[in-house]
Amino acid sequence: MSEVDTSVKTVVRAVTRAMWVTFANLFRTPVTVHYPDKTRTLPDRYRGLLALVYEKDTGEEACIGCRLCEYVCPPAVIKVEMLKTPARNYAKTFTLELYACEFCELCVQVCPTDAIVMMKSFDMATSDRRDMLLDKDRLHALGMHYERSWATGSLLRNMQGPPKMARAEEHAKPAGGEA
Amino acid sequence: MPAWLSPLIAPFVVLNVVIGLVTYVTLLERKFAARMQSRIGPYRVGPHGLLQPIADAIKLMMKEDIIPRVADRRVFNLAPVVFLVPCMLIFATLPFAPGLGVADLNIGILFFVAVSSMEIVGLFMAGWGSNNKYALLSAMRAVNQIISYDLPFIFAALVPVMLAGSLKLSDIASAQQGLWFVFYPVIGQLAFLAFVVSTLAAENRVPFDILEAESELVAGFRVEYSGMKFALIQLGEYAHIVGSSMLGAVLFLGAWAGPGPEWLGPVWLLLKAMFLFLLFTWVRWSFVRIRVDQILALSWKVLLPATLMLLVTTAVVVVWRTAGV
Repeated sequence: MSEVDTSVKTVVRAVTRAMWVTFANLFRTPVTVHYPDKTRTLPDRYRGLLALVYEKDTGEEACIGCRLCEYVCPPAVIKVEMLKTPARNYAKTFTLELYACEFCELCVQVCPTDAIVMMKSFDMATSDRRDMLLDKDRLHALGMHYERSWATGSLLRNMQGPPKMARAEEHAKPAGGEA
Repeated sequence: MPAWLSPLIAPFVVLNVVIGLVTYVTLLERKFAARMQSRIGPYRVGPHGLLQPIADAIKLMMKEDIIPRVADRRVFNLAPVVFLVPCMLIFATLPFAPGLGVADLNIGILFFVAVSSMEIVGLFMAGWGSNNKYALLSAMRAVNQIISYDLPFIFAALVPVMLAGSLKLSDIASAQQGLWFVFYPVIGQLAFLAFVVSTLAAENRVPFDILEAESELVAGFRVEYSGMKFALIQLGEYAHIVGSSMLGAVLFLGAWAGPGPEWLGPVWLLLKAMFLFLLFTWVRWSFVRIRVDQILALSWKVLLPATLMLLVTTAVVVVWRTAGV
């Protein structure tokens, strides 16, 4: 209390500075984006709506029904049933309760085939809870509809891990030394 | 027009103009505050949000009127009116142009100060009648603060009175047609500063808004009000601020003095009042709330002696100048 400087000089300087900050901001361009009319460009690593995708080259479902996402999901909103076939496995059913999802992105990171991805979208408002219960078809439809976030799943993992080339060289070195 | 009609028409016109003005002043404040925070403020209702105050008014009118079961019903219902009436009455003595005003009393400034302090009755009724501890706390703080700041307010307002040599607001205004009192060397600026600070406190604006301290008392004395009663209280508060801004413009900023033809007088007065209002808003968004003891200390230990000294100095200057001439 007693250490507070209340001399006229300090008070005047403090008041002037405080008033100046608000005054300077008065002439800045507002940062507001008129949302429904204009939309912001979402960042490439945006964690938005979840969706399933098809393989780009073959056009088949990318999900192999391995249930890794079901195991890793903290709020346990993903339920997968596996369908075994001779060539490869599929997801017989895939349900995602989006209303309880916490968008932690763990399912995207564990997915071995990058089948489940996050989309650059937050348009999830609805008045009916059942709209948020997504089955396989709807997840695929969402995957077709929205733009995909860039660095998800294995892309992110590869980026965060040690560089691949360097490790390959490291493994090659003792072999090269022996030769 | 018969002579008996004009005392009936003038208040009617002024009252409606004031209500319209006050409604739009809220939009002005919101827009101004938004720009200070790099936002844009109300935008969706009408072009650039120009119809927002009307939408707000309609919303408030259609809201449910809730009276708490434990409230003192009579006091609770009467409080908004008791609060609103003094806030509207202060416009009675304000001269808007030479000879234009409801009642240009010869004790105009005294009337203004006396009536504007009466809002505290309505305010305390609201706080007491709500039977809510937060409302009561807020009302007690308000009484504490407004009574403390009325003295510096009056002393600061007395400086122009002494300079002009009249309690009549139109005389004070016409005395400034040469030199606005805010430009009067040293005395004018100090008095204006004291006036702004004590007005801020008397209007319970930030940084003196302990009575509606949002973090502790929610909305203060009006926490239990809803619908039209809430609207009345808000109307009264903003009317008081606009009235005080106009008083400041009359006392210090030369009232209707300004370039252009004479009929532009009221426009100039309005512009100056809005300038003062924006100044209050600017202060509001620049500072944080100060503590109760600091507020009272500022009033009794700083502003009161300072304005008293200023008043004595003004008296000496005025006597010296008139004796010299």
